[in-house]
Amino acid sequence: MGLCMAKTDKDKKVYKNGFNLFEAYPIQFSEKVETVPYDEPAEAFNFPFPDKNIAHIMVNLCPTEPWALPHVRITENNPREFFSKLDRVRTRYFGGSHCHAVISSHEIDLIKEVKEFTWHGDWLHTYLLDPIYPHDAPVLLLKKILGLHLAYGQDTRETGVLILEPQAVAEIFEHYIRGNECSTRLIPLSGTGLGENKILKVKPGTPIQAILDGNVRENITCRVFVDGPLNGSEVKDMRQRIGWTTKNIVILEERDYKTPFSFFRLNELVFTTSLMGELRRCVYCNHCDDMCPVNLEPALYWQCHTRGEKQRARLYGLEKCIECGLCSFICPSKLELLQIIKECKLADSGSRLKDETDYKKI
Amino acid sequence: MKQIIKKFEPILNKNLNRVESFIQTRPRVNFLFGALFEAFDGLIRSSKDTAKTQPYIRNQMDIKQFMGGILVALFLGWVLPSIYFFGILCVVPKIIVSFVVGVFIVDVLWVILAKEERINEGGFVTCLFIPAFLPPQAPLWLIGVGAAVSILFRNITGGVGMNLLNPALFGRLLLTICFPTMVVTGWQEPFLGMPTIQSLTYGVDAVTHATPLLIYKETREITSYISLLFGTNTGSLGETCRVALIIAGVWLCKKRIANWRIPVAYLGSVFIFSALFFYTIGETMAPPLLQLLSGGLIFAAFFMATDPITTTYTQIGKWIFSIGCGFITVIIRNFTPIPEGVMYAILFMNLVGVPIQSIVLKIKYRA
Repeated sequence: MGLCMAKTDKDKKVYKNGFNLFEAYPIQFSEKVETVPYDEPAEAFNFPFPDKNIAHIMVNLCPTEPWALPHVRITENNPREFFSKLDRVRTRYFGGSHCHAVISSHEIDLIKEVKEFTWHGDWLHTYLLDPIYPHDAPVLLLKKILGLHLAYGQDTRETGVLILEPQAVAEIFEHYIRGNECSTRLIPLSGTGLGENKILKVKPGTPIQAILDGNVRENITCRVFVDGPLNGSEVKDMRQRIGWTTKNIVILEERDYKTPFSFFRLNELVFTTSLMGELRRCVYCNHCDDMCPVNLEPALYWQCHTRGEKQRARLYGLEKCIECGLCSFICPSKLELLQIIKECKLADSGSRLKDETDYKKI
Repeated sequence: MKQIIKKFEPILNKNLNRVESFIQTRPRVNFLFGALFEAFDGLIRSSKDTAKTQPYIRNQMDIKQFMGGILVALFLGWVLPSIYFFGILCVVPKIIVSFVVGVFIVDVLWVILAKEERINEGGFVTCLFIPAFLPPQAPLWLIGVGAAVSILFRNITGGVGMNLLNPALFGRLLLTICFPTMVVTGWQEPFLGMPTIQSLTYGVDAVTHATPLLIYKETREITSYISLLFGTNTGSLGETCRVALIIAGVWLCKKRIANWRIPVAYLGSVFIFSALFFYTIGETMAPPLLQLLSGGLIFAAFFMATDPITTTYTQIGKWIFSIGCGFITVIIRNFTPIPEGVMYAILFMNLVGVPIQSIVLKIKYRA
């Protein structure tokens, strides 16, 4: 029985801070799962099994974003079955590996049930996590659970760790072990552009337009985001198709007009694409580095960027950034800090720094 | 009330849009009043900007709320108590003069002449500081001059976000240099007891009286700590009711508008250094508690030193900054003939903050 209770003091060391998105954006999905009609055949399911030896499988049952699929919809209140599926997948394809399941510390029922499991050997380890964004980012999970240091953007498979989405476990089980044809996937649909937040059963290969039809509120302009508005990307072309890796779709109202007395009506603006303020100069309020999960100071990058010394930003631990976007999210001056960080990362580190060392010699 | 606003809102919105398009289509009008309209509009309506890059949702806190929080804290911390102690006729005209001269004359003129986009809300905060650290009987023109100098100084050095020194303290420094007697005289006995209409409007008749620190320097007499805490004592307009200031300051820290490290380190270091001097050098030094509770220390520690722009950005730098403030305050108060050292301490550390910042960064990142 490997229920490792995460100690709070260790928590604080690894994760300095984060943001509880569930409090800021409470999203309730409707109970019923609707099927999106689409006549053409679905994209064939194909899980890219890694050729490297996998020593650890990580399953995250604690999504930290409210628009992500609640894991209850996959386990269907029967975690026992889910874990037995996981065991089958593990023994069949990743023999000898250990499974690490991350569970939200708020779900007392699930924790209890996991504790009562007696049938599993010592292959399953469970960890508790507070659902605070972005503590489930791969880099942070690996660092905390396995003590591995991973650079942002590096493939976890290189270090022998496979991060499996809970839904992917069920899909692999259905498709490869049961041999059934797996043709649908659950996609949560949420946001202020909708009348109701829904969970849809979608055939991968369906264009996004087919999903939006009939769900989006009328008379408003909307923007569509795949995989969450914080970390995901915007959908410009509605013919883009849903894939087997699409996690969720968020549709936000575009408030590109002025709202009078906005400070009394924040709830209207809160879950839209509005900047909720004006772009200002940085006032060094320390909100970004209070929020940063990896102890960086994003305002320094802004300083470097405005002075035109993008290469200098590397000096301040830039490579540690996991691009979670919390600094831009929290900034009261509405600076595009994530964009600045990306630009600084791209900047060529060679030429300018050389000059500087020369200058120091003189 | 809500329904009235709802009816009124579309009309207002429509008219503002009409004015906006009127101004923007006429270059000459835009040159003179475009910036002013933008600034005024920004106070009433939200911006129409939307997120163009990741992340596509943003937190609701913006600079307007940031400054609004400070204004609310200042109002509860010094405006309300001082109305009780000195009367409306003493307090309100000063605030009005400060706002009118600072924000509505100097800043508006600057916005029009320099073609900046907006009046900064930071101006209101600066102007609300000016009457607070002048004596209750300071003439109105003095406050007007102070507000004008402060705002002008802030704008000349580049506006909010670029100023090296706290503009309000710089204004006060200039006033101290130009009118040295006026900023240290005119203390008034506060009103005590049940408030009446008469007391709330006029306060009590003026009695000139020395401040607790001066009393100690001259006679070694310690004013009661309770009276110091609740402000039933002489002092500048805004610094006397320390209980209210502490409550408002703690609220600010909790809202994360002010950084809690600065008041903690500042007050703590003043206490420790003054205790050190008091027990080694002796009675010529004021005792630590008297030092904590007298003068503008608590006001400055919670509201002036925490100004995020003029302190260092790194958290370690903030500790060094505020311990330095505390040390200089104690030194100036006890070893020089100047009665109060808070202003000089903060201004000096504002300047030293720049090298502190770069040294801390060099050590932290080995860069």
